[in-house]
Amino acid sequence: MRRIATFVLLLSLAAGTVYGAGLPKLKVGYVPEPAHGLYFVAKEKGYFKDAGVDVELFQFGSTAEGLAALKAGKLDVGTFGTTAPLLFISKGSEFTFIGGMMIGGQAIITRPERLAELSGKNLKVYKGKKIALVKLSTGDVIFKGALKKAGIDWKKEISFVEMGSVASVVEAVNKGSVDAGLVYPPHFSLAEKNHGLKVAHFIEEFYPDYTCCRIVALTKDVNADRDTYKKFLTALIRAYRFYKTNPDETVKIYTKALKIDEEIIRQETYVKRVAESNPDPLRKGILDFWKNMQDAGYVTQNYPVDKHINTSIYKDALDAVIKKEPKDKIYRQMLAFYKKNN
Amino acid sequence: MASILFPISLAATLLMLLLTAVSVGADSGRQIRLGYLDHPGSLLCLLASEQGLFRAEGLSVALVRFPDSGSGLSALSAGRIDAGAFALGETLQRIAGGKELKIVAGGGTAPSGKLPAGQNEAAALELEGKGVVLAAGSLDKISLVKLVSALIRAHQSLQLQPEAAWRQALKLLRDPKPQRAVRFDPNPDYWRIEKLWRQLQLQGEGRPRDFLANHVYEEIYCDALDRLALGDGRDNAVLQELKSRAVCVPDCCSVPSGNLSTIKGGSR
Repeated sequence: MRRIATFVLLLSLAAGTVYGAGLPKLKVGYVPEPAHGLYFVAKEKGYFKDAGVDVELFQFGSTAEGLAALKAGKLDVGTFGTTAPLLFISKGSEFTFIGGMMIGGQAIITRPERLAELSGKNLKVYKGKKIALVKLSTGDVIFKGALKKAGIDWKKEISFVEMGSVASVVEAVNKGSVDAGLVYPPHFSLAEKNHGLKVAHFIEEFYPDYTCCRIVALTKDVNADRDTYKKFLTALIRAYRFYKTNPDETVKIYTKALKIDEEIIRQETYVKRVAESNPDPLRKGILDFWKNMQDAGYVTQNYPVDKHINTSIYKDALDAVIKKEPKDKIYRQMLAFYKKNN
Repeated sequence: MASILFPISLAATLLMLLLTAVSVGADSGRQIRLGYLDHPGSLLCLLASEQGLFRAEGLSVALVRFPDSGSGLSALSAGRIDAGAFALGETLQRIAGGKELKIVAGGGTAPSGKLPAGQNEAAALELEGKGVVLAAGSLDKISLVKLVSALIRAHQSLQLQPEAAWRQALKLLRDPKPQRAVRFDPNPDYWRIEKLWRQLQLQGEGRPRDFLANHVYEEIYCDALDRLALGDGRDNAVLQELKSRAVCVPDCCSVPSGNLSTIKGGSR
């Protein structure tokens, strides 16, 4: 019996090898956030290989390290926030945005006894408050953008305390040394679970459909091998459909890949829906983000970042998928979303 | 079989231990030769040495004095020193000429506010060019972060106790009457450097757009700031002020996971 099992195992490994053999390879870097889960779905369900690309995933804890690896040609694709690639591009890195991975996701946490004071749908509740954040994180840039849109001069009316890590932000809120803190997933869920802290607001309540992690690649590679990147995005489009229609299996795939508590992933992904895993490039969102970075004083240069955004590969991939399944509701919605945001 | 394997595994273990010892010894014991000018712009290096801040970082640093930036940068390019505090303008000229130098920290610069009224921006940038930055050759990243950490501590000392720090400096500088109107900033500040790079017309045609960025290692300064902030510096006002001005790409997502990448970053 054992011999048969071994034979079957060897046969399946060989088949797997043959199946992936000869396909163009992409090394893809990501950071461990639940909303980056489309990669794991596409991998687990075989969508990458179906599309004709062999993808190897590499996890990074640092966006700077990840982008440095991309720049050095050690990665072919990177998903490392929006701030970091824009900063690299502004300093001359030849990256191109080709897609997205996460929309929204950042939250403002506080101690439970402060929740009532910070409730409501108006950002004015944060006037005069001391808020901890990780400088240049997505939450930092977008929250300041939201405050500006609401007519609040955050430089005068809010005191921001810059912390070195999201763990320090949670600690400061928990100790009560600040009134609130800006954190990203899964840290607000962990803060609720481990310290009893509460989410006062998700930033998306004030700033709908803002960009978080974007998919970037080296411009020269995108131009030289457009077809491989189209295959890659085709797989992510199919993974998005799976994520929207198979919650239970998706949660299991995310949990297995990220080693994060299954219930936290379920809550964030399908109950509270704190972020959307979406491969759309969101060109308008990237340009808006860049403007917010300039307004916050993080970049003083006027650089035309638009020439580093390629939406056509994603559009071609989406069109090809829709051509195969023209009546699929999810794909039609993706097309409408694309038209609105690009 | 076991009797054959045992001596082999013992020998292998001893070899590993020996290699580890040699490696640790090479990293921790190597003396870093740090060039400086007899100019207040190099003061942070001198103070870090005088106050034992390099030693506190576990570094053995020997200061090497140079009469001018030209000779210092030549020594750096030739590998006779490991790092040095030299004039920004001349450092950029060397980088434009193809020398593999890394700018990892700022230093002292005469403030442009001292210019007579009506002086133009070019004159201000000329002063920037004469200001000092810390440039390094092939020194490893960990040593550079420690080196810059010591300079940041020297900057803190200068901000908190300026009179005492200057008294120490006067003993070290040969110039009997050094110019004290110097603005110190350990931040290399890419955009300040880029402005001078453009003014000196060093980009030229055909050079990659990220050529300068590949020689300004702000991440070393950012890592040093983070390192100090994680220690006793969280409530330190000087450190907080430096952090508020630094533009550092944030780390993220230190979620426990079993499949961390084995790929490390490139040159930046």
